[in-house]
Amino acid sequence: MWLTDLRTAALVGTGRHEAPLPPAEMGFHAPEGQSREEFLLDQAALADVVTRATRSASAVPITGVFSPAPADMEPQASGEAARLLDLLLTQPPVGLELRTQLVADWLKLAEESRRRVPHRLLPALLTLAETKSTVFRSLEPAIGTRGRWMQEIKSPTSQEPASQRTGAPSSDAAADYDVLRNRDASAARVQLQENWTSLSARERAGNLALFAGNLLDEDEALLERALDDKAKGVREVALRLLDQLPRSARATRMAARLKPLLQVKGLLSKRLEIDLPPDPDKDALRDGVPADPRKGEPDRMARLEAIIKGAPLDVWTSVTGRNRSATASLLKDEPRILDAMIAATAARNDVEWARGLLTVVTDRRLLDCLPPAERAHWLERHVRISNDQPLTLAPLLQDLPQPWSVPLADAVLTVISGKDGGRLAAMLSEDLPTALPPEATERCRLLLAETDKDAARRRVLRDAVQYQSFKQSLTEAFR
Amino acid sequence: MGRWSEETVIKAAPDASSLAAARKLAHPGPWSDSGSNDVLVWGRCQGSGKTPYQVSVDIVAPAYRCSCPSRKFPCKHALALLLLWSRGEAAEAGAATADFAKEWADQRADRATAKERRQSEQPADPEAQAKRLAARLALMDAGVDDFSRWLTDLVRTGLAAARKQPYSWWDGVAARLVDSQLPGLAEQVRDMASQIHGRTDWSDHLLLHAGRWWALTKAWSARDNLSPDEFADVKAALGWSTASADVQDTEQLPGPWLVLGAHRSDDGRLQQQRTWLQGPDGTVVVVLDFAAQGQGLAAPQLAGALLDVTIARYPGTAPQRAMFTGPVNPLGAAPSLGQGNSIGQALKQESAAVAVSPWRTRHPVLLEGVIINPEDRGWLHDPNGEALPLVDAPLDSLLALTGGHAADIFGELEDGRLRPLTVVVDSMVVTP
Repeated sequence: MWLTDLRTAALVGTGRHEAPLPPAEMGFHAPEGQSREEFLLDQAALADVVTRATRSASAVPITGVFSPAPADMEPQASGEAARLLDLLLTQPPVGLELRTQLVADWLKLAEESRRRVPHRLLPALLTLAETKSTVFRSLEPAIGTRGRWMQEIKSPTSQEPASQRTGAPSSDAAADYDVLRNRDASAARVQLQENWTSLSARERAGNLALFAGNLLDEDEALLERALDDKAKGVREVALRLLDQLPRSARATRMAARLKPLLQVKGLLSKRLEIDLPPDPDKDALRDGVPADPRKGEPDRMARLEAIIKGAPLDVWTSVTGRNRSATASLLKDEPRILDAMIAATAARNDVEWARGLLTVVTDRRLLDCLPPAERAHWLERHVRISNDQPLTLAPLLQDLPQPWSVPLADAVLTVISGKDGGRLAAMLSEDLPTALPPEATERCRLLLAETDKDAARRRVLRDAVQYQSFKQSLTEAFR
Repeated sequence: MGRWSEETVIKAAPDASSLAAARKLAHPGPWSDSGSNDVLVWGRCQGSGKTPYQVSVDIVAPAYRCSCPSRKFPCKHALALLLLWSRGEAAEAGAATADFAKEWADQRADRATAKERRQSEQPADPEAQAKRLAARLALMDAGVDDFSRWLTDLVRTGLAAARKQPYSWWDGVAARLVDSQLPGLAEQVRDMASQIHGRTDWSDHLLLHAGRWWALTKAWSARDNLSPDEFADVKAALGWSTASADVQDTEQLPGPWLVLGAHRSDDGRLQQQRTWLQGPDGTVVVVLDFAAQGQGLAAPQLAGALLDVTIARYPGTAPQRAMFTGPVNPLGAAPSLGQGNSIGQALKQESAAVAVSPWRTRHPVLLEGVIINPEDRGWLHDPNGEALPLVDAPLDSLLALTGGHAADIFGELEDGRLRPLTVVVDSMVVTP
């Protein structure tokens, strides 16, 4: 009460409001002859000391306190390893992208040597993982029990950064179905067949689309049934999936449509003539050959493409009587045909046809069909002998698993150090440091020592050297 | 003197951009003729010019010298050299001291000796000293009188009216206080301008501070009745600093001194570092370091470290300000900070300290077996069911270190809230 009155008097001023008398129990006696202002200030001084000298603890209920973290089972990374993680998190000596990769590398090395992140570094690490999915995905198991406990406290539903998530199923039911299809493809098919009529068109299309990851020949019957579905969306999904099955009845029907269109001509049978398909009948329409548009000319080429994508690729070799690469070379001047064949090859992941087509055309979809080692080998040769523009080359290289093989790294460094290599270096600036194997570091160092005015190229090479030397320190620290 | 850690180098940097620039130079390429001994680290750094820059660093009493024209202090070259040295990548010990480094070290030593000689040779003129003191006291008396009048005006017109005043009004009062050699008081008044515009409880804050200032003016007027320690506290509150030379000659307290915790603050004009130390007999003191913007603060001491060093205390009531009077030698790390208190006990200690010296606003306390509660801005709970709010608390870090288990926490009690500085976990003293 006294304090309230004192505050009021002070706020409005003693000119309008006199200071109250202090409580008698305080034993405070004001000297005689004081002005109103001095009397108030004396009491303010008293209030200050009384407030500070009589503080008592609050009795706040422990509602927000979590149950304590269970003990960690793994020993913490100590010494140099801990110091390096600390450095990466608080004062990164490298660019931010490299830092992210190095933190992920650290976590992986910790996992391999069965060590965990020191407790004191967890906050900075978890904060970084909030924005960097590479780090988020590498957190387990190196963050240990304490790290998982921290994640729960920070957000009970800790999730991967939203912007980085892809292909998230739209509903719980779809997510459940995805799990089932991945676990037991046949059971998932049977379930979908049973529920087919009770599901909405959107659900039928959605569930069917989940077959793409592990499509089986046994799925064909359901896909044939889906071709008669009243919903266009369902039919389109079924057609896309049937393109992946070259042994299906629909593929045989497409082969029958394709074969009469192909004719080998010329004295030495060096020319392949391709006719355009006729207007589609009812069966062809059902198999996905595009109908005539309501207005304008029909796109006959699109019909041919649909047929090529649906038919087995071996139709081509059976007509030409040549092997795949020789057949592909007959089609060198037919980019749209080649593109349809590449699409069919990629859909079926056909390694043989990928090899054949790669002799005449460079395409990342074909490269993706090859086993990793062969892909790297192919690219290495390609980088050495072709004169591809950086714009073509960079995506192919970016797609490769890292780190690259030593010969490939060598080939790429040769291009980069060449007269116009700066552009490729700039395009690969984010990938090159992590893609180059440790064996390439020395060459980067030598290139860096050469006088070079191309700032982008210097930066990439410097990043590569820095990344490798830091990674080397990490590896040694965990030994 | 041992090799600095990279953290120590980082903390010596005047700003982030200097450090970033230094990192670019922290590879052996541009360096030549580098070396180190117990006192000096030196090297030549090839810059854009023909002649390499000559860099020398005194690592004992940190001082930096570089022939580059940078106004940053220490410059990027000195920092880069220290980074390389801290990582063991350059400036290995054993090489003969480079001429330029030796020359600089000799010059510094000569200057220091000359200064000491000047001071010892010039006998203090007691008459002139007394005259200077009288002049200062008169100036301060006038300043205190003026400030008292300002305080009575403040409460006559009301605090609500004062809140409508612009920052310049408060700055004007602060400037008059500085002119009257009352810089401590000036600092508090200047700070009040932002406090009353930023706080929700601004009226209580201003009322209680006005009361404290009023009491300070009264204490100054009655200084003849104060004990020497009480007077020293009043002097410190007003901003009348005690010369370190006067402290140096007082009683030397031997170690080992345990580093309880440290806090760094930066108000945009001045950087301050408070290091709380505990002596073998339980005496707690605080070492203050100051540096202007852009200058490097003294290297911080590691919490939990035992230091073999003698200290001397400034006059005043406990916990006193202190200064190191000899070289600081770390003896190792202590596994704990000793016996702690409950929250209730800590608040009682604060009450007792306020009763002895009402000008003090910070009290060091060690709390035992407290649990972190991250609600609001953070709370501490002790086993007796009592709670204390936290201030400036790195909550994530505290939670990560303690895992929600009870731990001992050292910190500064200020305005009824605790600023945690050190945590003891798994027999280790850690800075959160």
